[in-house]
Amino acid sequence: MTFDLSEEEKIESPQGSEENIKSEILTVNMGPQHPATHGVLRVEIKTDSEIVTEAISHIGYLHRCFEKHAENIDYRGVIPFVDRMDYVAAMNMEHGYVMAVEKLLGTEVPRRAEYIRVLVAELQRIASHLMFFGTYSIDLGAFTPFLYAFQEREFILRIFEELSGARLLYNYIWIGGVWNDITDGQLKRLSGFCDKMEREIDKYHNLVGLNKIFVERTARVGVMDEDLCYDYGLTGPILRGSGVKWDLRKDRPYSIYSEFDFDIPVGTGEHGVLGDCWDRYWVRMREMLESIKIIRQVLEGIEAGPVMGKVSKIIKPPKSEIYLRTECPRGELGYYLIADGGKVPYRVKVKSSCFTHVSVLSAVAPGLMIADLVATIGSIDIVLGEVDR
Amino acid sequence: MSTMTPPLTFKSYFSNIWTAVRTVFKGLTITTRYIWAEKPVTIEYPEVREVLPENSRSRLYNDVENCIACNQCATACPVDCIYIASNRRDKEAPKIKTKDGTPIRLDLTQYVIDTSLCCYCGLCTVVCPTECLTHTTDYEFSQYTLDSMKYDYLEDDIRAWRDRIVK
Repeated sequence: MTFDLSEEEKIESPQGSEENIKSEILTVNMGPQHPATHGVLRVEIKTDSEIVTEAISHIGYLHRCFEKHAENIDYRGVIPFVDRMDYVAAMNMEHGYVMAVEKLLGTEVPRRAEYIRVLVAELQRIASHLMFFGTYSIDLGAFTPFLYAFQEREFILRIFEELSGARLLYNYIWIGGVWNDITDGQLKRLSGFCDKMEREIDKYHNLVGLNKIFVERTARVGVMDEDLCYDYGLTGPILRGSGVKWDLRKDRPYSIYSEFDFDIPVGTGEHGVLGDCWDRYWVRMREMLESIKIIRQVLEGIEAGPVMGKVSKIIKPPKSEIYLRTECPRGELGYYLIADGGKVPYRVKVKSSCFTHVSVLSAVAPGLMIADLVATIGSIDIVLGEVDR
Repeated sequence: MSTMTPPLTFKSYFSNIWTAVRTVFKGLTITTRYIWAEKPVTIEYPEVREVLPENSRSRLYNDVENCIACNQCATACPVDCIYIASNRRDKEAPKIKTKDGTPIRLDLTQYVIDTSLCCYCGLCTVVCPTECLTHTTDYEFSQYTLDSMKYDYLEDDIRAWRDRIVK
């Protein structure tokens, strides 16, 4: 084998080496199929060697015309479509939509149904944050925590499967209540799960969160300060990770959240600066603990009774409109519903938190290393189903 | 955005190494415990099959003998994957009833569900007045072609499922 050495010699020759090496901005596509993009997100990165100078996110690969579909289906039929927006936290998606329709109808929801709704919403929050924990570890190169997180998630999905019949896209929370009642046996299993989960979260934190490699990868990386959060409309764990104590469950209580006692975890900048990736990770881990607190209170306070209120067979809300927002695992989810008095909604507009979160990438990315950009995308925890809808 | 790292001193250099060794060791002890202390959670699928919970929503089954062709399932379906056709029953024909006593006034000529379109939301089974359309717990029904995902419930070979379904 022979090499043409003339090229190499040219570079290695001391005289005029600077003139011969050309430096230019390189454009790289990250995605649409990339393990770190959690779906089909394409990030067009302009790099100067290892440093990102510009990141432009291209979305729309998973667009399924949710809003147009919703204009042609009756109010009950929209719920399966709502599930498919954020498929990792489908219960929370349903909860918001159903509450909006109930407000239009003026339906009373039985107490037991409200308790079950809060229970499943908080379980789903834990499942969703476990998913974040697992996939974020994979993004940063650790595969084992993913499997540990899925063990606990499996339990939650099993409970949901017994309740609703499906593992991911539930169609469980219905207009006027919930589909099936929860049994005492399931409540007992859940109380055992709460004890186990607390130990597990401690374990996860020791395994990943305190690990020096993880801390080095995430602390002081992708810093989003308070002003940036306000500028880009960031909500949820990202906003709280930047030190803002804002949670709709506490500040604008919906459903029966005002009856429960829980804290809002905020970022502290423990290992780096306030609002870095590590803070967002730590906020999510502590949110799981708060969810367990709420679940415990639900298990204590749950009352016997019906799970379905009085709803007519054909749902026809009067001519009205509503904007209702709820706190989802990923941030604030808003539904803007217009009813024109017919069987189908006139318009269902969704304000998705992930969609606004994607836009912050172009503001944070300049100056980051490519590997740090992966850590940042992972830490804002987007689900592309909700971005594109 | 600048990411200010504190300057590296002689002391922090060694304390960094110490934290790294300590935390990695801590993580390793957790992982090593899994060798003996935790039970395996995976099942070996083709040999061991998981039994789904009772109300699990999987392949649809319609008991056409009890179907009154009321079309409610097709209306409720958000993806319109149920195709029903029926004729008015002759007045001279013998009167038949479903299991729960509802008289059948329409003769079913077609009852097809396109399973490849179905989103398994369960809305059709809830509205069924005679409860003949149900979700089964049968989850192994992959096919080679899209056409074979269309189930005609009036055909005999599909009627044979009846013994397979758990519900």
